[in-house]
Amino acid sequence: MSLHLQPVQVATGSDDTESQLVFADGFLVAVLVHLSDDHGDEAGMWFLEAGFGRVDEITPPKFADLEEAQAWITRRLHDNGVGRQPAPG
Amino acid sequence: MTSAPKPSIDILIRKLESIAPLSDEERRAIEGLSIMIRPLKPDQDIVRDYDRPSQCCLMLEGWACRYKLLSQGKRQIFSFHVPGDIPDLQSLHLNVMDHSLCTLTPATVAFIPHHGLHELTARFPRIAAAFWRDTLVDAAIFREWMVGMGRRSAEEAIAHLFCEMYLKLQAVGLAQNHIYRLPITQSDVADALGLTNVHVNRVLKELRTKGLITLMGGTLQVHDWTELTKLCDFDPTYLHLEQQRAA
Repeated sequence: MSLHLQPVQVATGSDDTESQLVFADGFLVAVLVHLSDDHGDEAGMWFLEAGFGRVDEITPPKFADLEEAQAWITRRLHDNGVGRQPAPG
Repeated sequence: MTSAPKPSIDILIRKLESIAPLSDEERRAIEGLSIMIRPLKPDQDIVRDYDRPSQCCLMLEGWACRYKLLSQGKRQIFSFHVPGDIPDLQSLHLNVMDHSLCTLTPATVAFIPHHGLHELTARFPRIAAAFWRDTLVDAAIFREWMVGMGRRSAEEAIAHLFCEMYLKLQAVGLAQNHIYRLPITQSDVADALGLTNVHVNRVLKELRTKGLITLMGGTLQVHDWTELTKLCDFDPTYLHLEQQRAA
C-alpha cells in the first residue's frame, strides 16, 4: 500500500485553507489541513480535517509535519481492526 | 452544630434562591451550616472516580468541571461549575463517585459534611426540595448538552454554552450587561462539547467576525445577545430560573 498526496484548497470557513488530499492505493482516506497563524502555538501543524474508514477519528489529531501524518495514517490503515470493526448488519 | 453565620455561604443561598424561594428561617439555617473553606489550585482534583466522599463541595470562587478520563488521554467534560454550585451534591445519596470533579482555575471551595446537609434537609423539607430542584435542573442542562453534542454545529454548541454560562453567572450576581469572566481554555470548551480546539478556535474567530462576541483576556463580552441566542436557538426554559418564572 502506498500513500499519495495531492495539494488542494479546502473551504474550512477559516484561514486554514492549504490542504492535502491523502490517497491510499487510489482511495481517498484523509484530508489534512495546514493550520494557519490563527492557531498560535499550533500554527504550521497538520490537522486531520477528515478521515475515512479506519482513518476516521472522533478526536482528530494534529501532526508536526506531513511525514508524521502519513506514518499515523499508515498505522491506522494497517490496524488489524480489533475493536474498530464496523457494527454487524 | 450551630456556628456563626458565614458570609461566604451566601453564594449558596443566592444560588438556591435563583431556582426556589427561601424563608428567613431557611436562609439562617443554611448560614448555620458548618463548613471548611479551602483554597485550591487550578487543575486540582476535588473528588475522583470511585471515591466515597463524606462531604460535598460548594464552589465559592473560580470554576470547576465534572469529567471522565478515557484511554489515550482523552477527556470528556460533563459540566462547568461556577460559584454557588455544589457539583458533587449527588454524593449525599450516591455513595460512590462515578466521575471526577476538578478545578479549572484557582478556586475557593467550602466543604460541607454530609451529616450537616442530612440534618439540614431533614429539618427543612423546602431546602431539601430546593436541592432536589437543583439536581433536576442539572439533569435538564445535561439534556441540552446532549442535544448540543449530537445535533448542534460547533458554532451553535459554543454559542449555546456562552448563553447558558451567562445566565448561570447572572443568576448568582456574577455577570451583568452581557459581560462575564470566562476563565477556561479552548481545550476545556473542546472537551466539553466533543470538538477539537482547532474547531473551537475557528468558531471563536467566526463569532468575533460576525460581531457577536469578543473574548479577550478571559473576559467574554456578548455584543448582540439577541443574535447570539437566535444563532443557537437558545431557549432558557431548561434553566428554570426564578426570574423567568416571575416574568
